[in-house]
Amino acid sequence: MTAQTVQQGDLVTVIGLEVHVQLETDTKIFCGCSTDQTDEPNENVCPVCLGLPGALPVLNEGAVEAAVKIGKAIDADIPEETRFHRKNYYYPDLPKNFQITQYDEPICADGDLEISVEGERRTVTIERAHLEEDPGSLQHVGGGGGIDSADYTLVNYNRAGTPLMEVVTAPDFRSPGEVRAFLAELEEVLEYLGVFDAERDGSLRIDANLSIIPEDEIESDDVTEIGEEALAAANRTEVKNISSHKGAEKALAYEETRQKNAIQRGRAVEQETRHWDESRGITVSMRSKEEEKDYRYFEEADLPPLRVSHWKDEISIPELPSARRERFQDEYTLSEEAASKLTSTKQVADFYEDVAQEFDPDLAATWVADNLLGELNYRDMEITGIESRLDEVTRLVELVATDEITAKNARETVLRSMLDDGRTPDEVVAEEGLGKTGEDEVQQAVVEAIDENPDAVADYESGDDGAINFLVGQVMQKTGGSADPGDVNQLLRAELND
Amino acid sequence: MAANIFITDERIEGDDTENEDADADGPLAGRTVAVKDNISTKGVATTCGSAMLEEYVPPYDATVISRLKEAGATIVGKANMDEFGMGSTTETSAFGPTDNPAAPGHVPGGSSGGSAAAVAAGEADLALGSDTGGSIRCPAAFCGVVGIKPTYGLVSRYGLVAYGNSLEQIGPFGETVEDAAALLDVIAGPDERDATTRDAAPDGESYAAAATGDVDGLTIGVPTELLEGADEDVVDTFWDAIADLEAQGAEYHEVSLPSVEHAVEAYYVIAMSEASSNLARFDGVRYGPETETETEGNWNETFSQVRKDGFGDEVKRRILLGTYALSAGYHDKYYKKAQDARAWVKQDFDEALSEADVLASPTMPVTPFEQGESLDDPLQMYLADANTVPVNLADLPAISVPAGESDADGLPVGLQLVGPAFGEERLIRAASALEFE
Repeated sequence: MTAQTVQQGDLVTVIGLEVHVQLETDTKIFCGCSTDQTDEPNENVCPVCLGLPGALPVLNEGAVEAAVKIGKAIDADIPEETRFHRKNYYYPDLPKNFQITQYDEPICADGDLEISVEGERRTVTIERAHLEEDPGSLQHVGGGGGIDSADYTLVNYNRAGTPLMEVVTAPDFRSPGEVRAFLAELEEVLEYLGVFDAERDGSLRIDANLSIIPEDEIESDDVTEIGEEALAAANRTEVKNISSHKGAEKALAYEETRQKNAIQRGRAVEQETRHWDESRGITVSMRSKEEEKDYRYFEEADLPPLRVSHWKDEISIPELPSARRERFQDEYTLSEEAASKLTSTKQVADFYEDVAQEFDPDLAATWVADNLLGELNYRDMEITGIESRLDEVTRLVELVATDEITAKNARETVLRSMLDDGRTPDEVVAEEGLGKTGEDEVQQAVVEAIDENPDAVADYESGDDGAINFLVGQVMQKTGGSADPGDVNQLLRAELND
Repeated sequence: MAANIFITDERIEGDDTENEDADADGPLAGRTVAVKDNISTKGVATTCGSAMLEEYVPPYDATVISRLKEAGATIVGKANMDEFGMGSTTETSAFGPTDNPAAPGHVPGGSSGGSAAAVAAGEADLALGSDTGGSIRCPAAFCGVVGIKPTYGLVSRYGLVAYGNSLEQIGPFGETVEDAAALLDVIAGPDERDATTRDAAPDGESYAAAATGDVDGLTIGVPTELLEGADEDVVDTFWDAIADLEAQGAEYHEVSLPSVEHAVEAYYVIAMSEASSNLARFDGVRYGPETETETEGNWNETFSQVRKDGFGDEVKRRILLGTYALSAGYHDKYYKKAQDARAWVKQDFDEALSEADVLASPTMPVTPFEQGESLDDPLQMYLADANTVPVNLADLPAISVPAGESDADGLPVGLQLVGPAFGEERLIRAASALEFE
């Protein structure tokens, strides 16, 4: 089939990912320096992460532990022992001009992660995941400010030596949407494991390989199986500089369209590396006809092989989001949507379970999934931002559960005040006078409303049931809105029917 | 010519009250030590004998330097060496050659030539060198002093500027075996900054205490392959020394190390491969001469120019060869094959040492070259390492002790003893017997 005759409908998109995840350890992978990258440039450095002559790496076992957790979460093979290699290349952000990484014995091999795309379950194969050190970062200054237009470039080594896990998937994705779903799931799993901080700038960096192949090259009914020859025959582009799952979807949708258009117009897709320009929303060519890179991998003799066979059993991992989602649906009879929302991060799920233990699980779901997350989202906040005040939220749910305030007041006044001006729920209730009015008071208001509105009473008695709404409104006015409208309705009917 | 023993002769006083680490009553109090210039000294230039590092002043001490200071030693200077340890004559130093105090007009050996010369000339009581393929033992033999290459992992390499990092160790020089052993006592032992160090304390009180000269019942294996390429006069001197040990109660028999015929090739492939990576960091960003050639901000051209200007010929030769040996398509043919040969050499040594307590050979197959004699023929220079490099491939300890002088030219000849892993005491005991004549 020549390029000219191919119709868009006959084309299939094939995408594979290399995801670089910064592991959330206190110290760097080969030295004791802090991994805090918000400090002044070149503050968190030592002879080791600066690659000074004579300095030697010593493995931070915390990074290996995080890697083993990831391996268990993606059901990967973890070898008896793990070792490191040097990847040799020259770049100004690389202190030693080689990167310590893992080559033929990665800490995790042959794992997978299940994702849900438009209600359908898909399993993505993770070929390998290995540990390595992050290089430093470059800051281009003056001139045009770009990599090729700046007057000069500064190097910040604070990032150098931050532990990275490189996760390499099989070319299992057929659409940018699937990529996004996978990245969101991966991020969720990593957060559950406590090995990843999504808030940290540059904590997730994605390179994606995308190629377009004719549909009839797919060997079986299973869309995930693509013939290796077909893949090898198709030119692919590697898209770099993607830093979020949303960005990945956009970048790959752009690239998919660009390649399909080229093929439809009978033009060849060049094998090249392209750079995702987030601000312009396009990919631009970085290097075309790239020569095959030769990294001259060889063993890092300064780091003896580390036996990790027993670590698999000794290191435990928490319940993962997918399992927890299912359990929430069973145990608390929640909808899939509610269970999804409530397991979006470990903190949210933990908090939901705390609340659901004490109060009605449905009430807890409404409060955590809809009210709390909704209000937080509106304010561009995360649950982590109010971690120390979660007991106040629990207290608010308690006030509602025990009927001390109305659900409406709790949501619209108390919760919002808590988030906006930092008051506690009890303070808001007291200061705003939101405590539910006592029964006697309501009863008195009911009697008064009936006495004061003989016309409405007459209408009600003549069968106009709508008149009751007017009377409810009167009672609510008298009680300053603190009575429960349903209760008032009941009380009015009881009084009138006597 | 001037002796040119030191590149930097700055003293770091052991009894300096400003030096908080120093212990006035330490085991090396009052003793002077010359330090090879590839061992990092905080605040004192560490050049590795290279123009590339002429201006480099480390902000930290190597672990062995901290231990020297704690032991109360006075460091008398940074000793000359072949550039980045690449050479057997100290002639590849960017700071000029060092003369051999024991044989003026001849090279002191290398690459730790300045360290050995400092002890031979009495400029220092003791010295530290490093040995990647013989760089302690060769100059010890050429200068007529004692040098110990410890088992890989006995002495921390933290702060030793790497050349062939899977092969090398820091080790001591002394005028006597006991002196060298006493320095080993100070520097040996595990270090949390070097993951390859092992906890292997001496069985006895100390390494120095092992210098008893007691060789009664000692069995010495003599690998015939290590005599084959040696000069006749060197071999004669060697047998005289063996006879001396025999007279003191030792026994000897011949053993075979068939794999050593491949050792020089394997050693150079591995050392050069590692060097090509270890020396990659010298790219002009933080070290190296300012390049005068206009490169218009092109990164590849800039670092290439700095490396062209900053490295000497021998270093460039080894980086190029090492890069080649690791490249796709050649990796299996060279690097991997060399690793296989290394495993074979280890196995041969294990077998030979199961039949003998120590193995003995001439340290160097030749007596010291005349200055300038070997520089033009790198291959000849590499072959002179035939007896020392197999020991580094096998990670084993070895000592070079003066065996006497060659009858032909009166130049120093060294005897090399090799022992099992962490068998330093055995070597010290045996070598010290040659001093009790």
